[in-house]
Amino acid sequence: MALPAVAVYSFLYLYPAVQNLLYATERWDGVTKPQQVGLHNFVHLATSDDLFRRIVGNNIRFTLIVVIFQTAFSLLFATFLLKNTKTTIFLRVIYFFPTILSSVSVGLIWTFLYNPNFGFINATLKAMGLNSLALNWLGDTKYSLYAIAVTQIWFHTGQMVIIYVAGLQQIPADLYEAAEVDGATRWQQFKNITWPMALPTTAVVVAYTTIQSFRAFDLVYSMTQGGPQNSSDLIVTSIYNTAFASFKYGYASAQSVVLILVVLLVTWLQRRTLRIDYGVKK
Amino acid sequence: MKTQGMKSFSARRLGAVATIAFALVATSITTGFAADPSFGKACTTEGVSTGTSSSSLVCTMGDNGKLTWTNVRLGQSTGAPVAALKASPGTIEFHHFRPEDKAVFASIIAKFEAANPGTHVNQVIMSSNDYTNLAYAKISVNPKAAVFVTVRGGQFDQFYKGGLLRDISSDRFVRQNVIQSALTPGIVGGKVYGVPYQSLFNDPLYNTEMFAAHKWSVPTNWTQLLSFCKTVKAAGIIPFAWPAATRGNAGQIMNSFLMNSAPDLATLTSRIQAIDTGKADLTSDWFVAIANKYKQMADSGCFPANVTGYNDTVAPADFANGKAAIYPTGTFGMSTVTNLNPAMKGKMKLMSMITVDEKPLYQGITNNTFILSVNAKATSRDQNIARAFISFLATAPIAQEYAVGTSQHVSIINVNYSANIDLLNTSDIMGKKLLLAPRFLFNNVGTVRNPLEDALIAIGGGADVTKTLADTSKTIKQSFGA
Repeated sequence: MALPAVAVYSFLYLYPAVQNLLYATERWDGVTKPQQVGLHNFVHLATSDDLFRRIVGNNIRFTLIVVIFQTAFSLLFATFLLKNTKTTIFLRVIYFFPTILSSVSVGLIWTFLYNPNFGFINATLKAMGLNSLALNWLGDTKYSLYAIAVTQIWFHTGQMVIIYVAGLQQIPADLYEAAEVDGATRWQQFKNITWPMALPTTAVVVAYTTIQSFRAFDLVYSMTQGGPQNSSDLIVTSIYNTAFASFKYGYASAQSVVLILVVLLVTWLQRRTLRIDYGVKK
Repeated sequence: MKTQGMKSFSARRLGAVATIAFALVATSITTGFAADPSFGKACTTEGVSTGTSSSSLVCTMGDNGKLTWTNVRLGQSTGAPVAALKASPGTIEFHHFRPEDKAVFASIIAKFEAANPGTHVNQVIMSSNDYTNLAYAKISVNPKAAVFVTVRGGQFDQFYKGGLLRDISSDRFVRQNVIQSALTPGIVGGKVYGVPYQSLFNDPLYNTEMFAAHKWSVPTNWTQLLSFCKTVKAAGIIPFAWPAATRGNAGQIMNSFLMNSAPDLATLTSRIQAIDTGKADLTSDWFVAIANKYKQMADSGCFPANVTGYNDTVAPADFANGKAAIYPTGTFGMSTVTNLNPAMKGKMKLMSMITVDEKPLYQGITNNTFILSVNAKATSRDQNIARAFISFLATAPIAQEYAVGTSQHVSIINVNYSANIDLLNTSDIMGKKLLLAPRFLFNNVGTVRNPLEDALIAIGGGADVTKTLADTSKTIKQSFGA
């Protein structure tokens, strides 16, 4: 019975993955005959590519910021939107709304918001007298990555709110009733009931957010194209540029292998940190 | 099918009477004639032309610095233009990267289909960025993409190496309908593999009305340019609306910096190729001098505030709305400007951006690109439809429709631009000494050109020249090792 599923999986997932591994051992410009180079691409990535190491660093910082803030905001909003009233349902729709927009549109909207000379953000800061905080958000190597991270959080928090609401609604109400009888404060209820019971959902949210953060290609491409000077480049944008602007398909394949390894490592570390294994608290 | 190289058909035409055709391009300016214009006589206003016929004269500056009336000879070909080829019934795809040309091409395609019943051409359009990166991958596995465009340089080379370009040297429309000097980017080893359809001028556009109102003169050397920036900035206007946050258009200005940076074209080419192949880096004196000029422009207030965050949505808008005096991209930016503000129609001209104080070697930049090619991997029937379609595009009335509709000069002879005031007003640049855009001599786009341009953008934004060039050189060097 499992044979068709195995066959489909092998053809659609396993074969491309193995193929990618093979490409990673080649020097290939996509036009001329590929040349076998063994582990050269990986060795070069590890020892002689400062830019790629910087980009991996960018991606880890980006992921950490997005995972921490997106998870915190979505959990916070979800706790306020638990009850199924007309207002909360309306607010859930409002929060979810950015998720249905195309990432390129989101990128364009935020590029205007961030415009250093007439954008809404700087205009507001200047109106409040905070001129020193009116920065060149996307054009300065110091801020561009964080500016995109904020956009990413805005873009996807609503989606995570919905996942959290679904998860939190599964927590039995009598637990809170018993806690109230025992005189527990709201914070104690959150700490001792909501947070532990929401851990499986948190694991899903964190894993999903992590993967989203490593795949934030469209947003980066539409807002900065990885610039200025690679300051907002992520691994996926680097892979794209290596393959399609530098025509180094083998090297790009090696970068994508690194991407998989980094995602696996980060996901494993998160599971260890949250002490979660397939949604069951140990 | 038998094909012929350029050399062989050049030999074949020995003994024959070569017909010279002229694509007459000139301004309709009615004032500025010093006296009755006649060939060789002195004139007063550079660029002024007497009209749009083959006998028109244009006022140009000679090597001696004097303005004289000279012939406009823009459209030389090797014979009288020929009619378009006939296409057999069938459907092909036309891949290109100009969504803004979609409607004009749709109109042209409708005419082509009407002239060739049963033939259909479907446009497949990508954004220019996607097209640069993905076109080869897509077209190489799609034989229905029988006609496509490439850009001069790396992309054209890639398609050539991939065996996707059919030799069209023997087609008469290539020899007789196309300005022969414009064919160069489509030729490899003496054979023609593509027709560069557009004749672009990658020189800064300036607002003539604004210049007149403020009594500003177009700077003609480097000192004047820096001084001009200070004057314009003091008037509360952005001197150069340089879209530094959008690499593609930010890089256009580099052409002007390169064109007079070497004593001759051979030296310039060898210097560029040395960097492009990793034999030299950005810390060479020649490149440092170029980078220092970006810095000088930044220090003189030539660029807007926060220029590294100033993108190609904002820059043309500022230029169109009178907040900026110059939009340093090229003629291809004119339609964007007039779409943003129709009142800008007829108020744009091209300036020679001279970055030296001594007598310049070149006065402007041109680029023959949007190279139309036939897919060598398409079926022979589809290839013939593709050839017929290109030959149709290469007839003067159709090329004129394209030029006027898209505000692009074209490489086809006998095209009259008088129906588009902006094309007309910017045509006088053709009377100057132009260099084929040197930016596109950097074929190594991902490894060299992109980081190099990023470095210049950073320097234009105020970054330290020495450190930026050293860091970028290291990145490029490491990238060569990958």
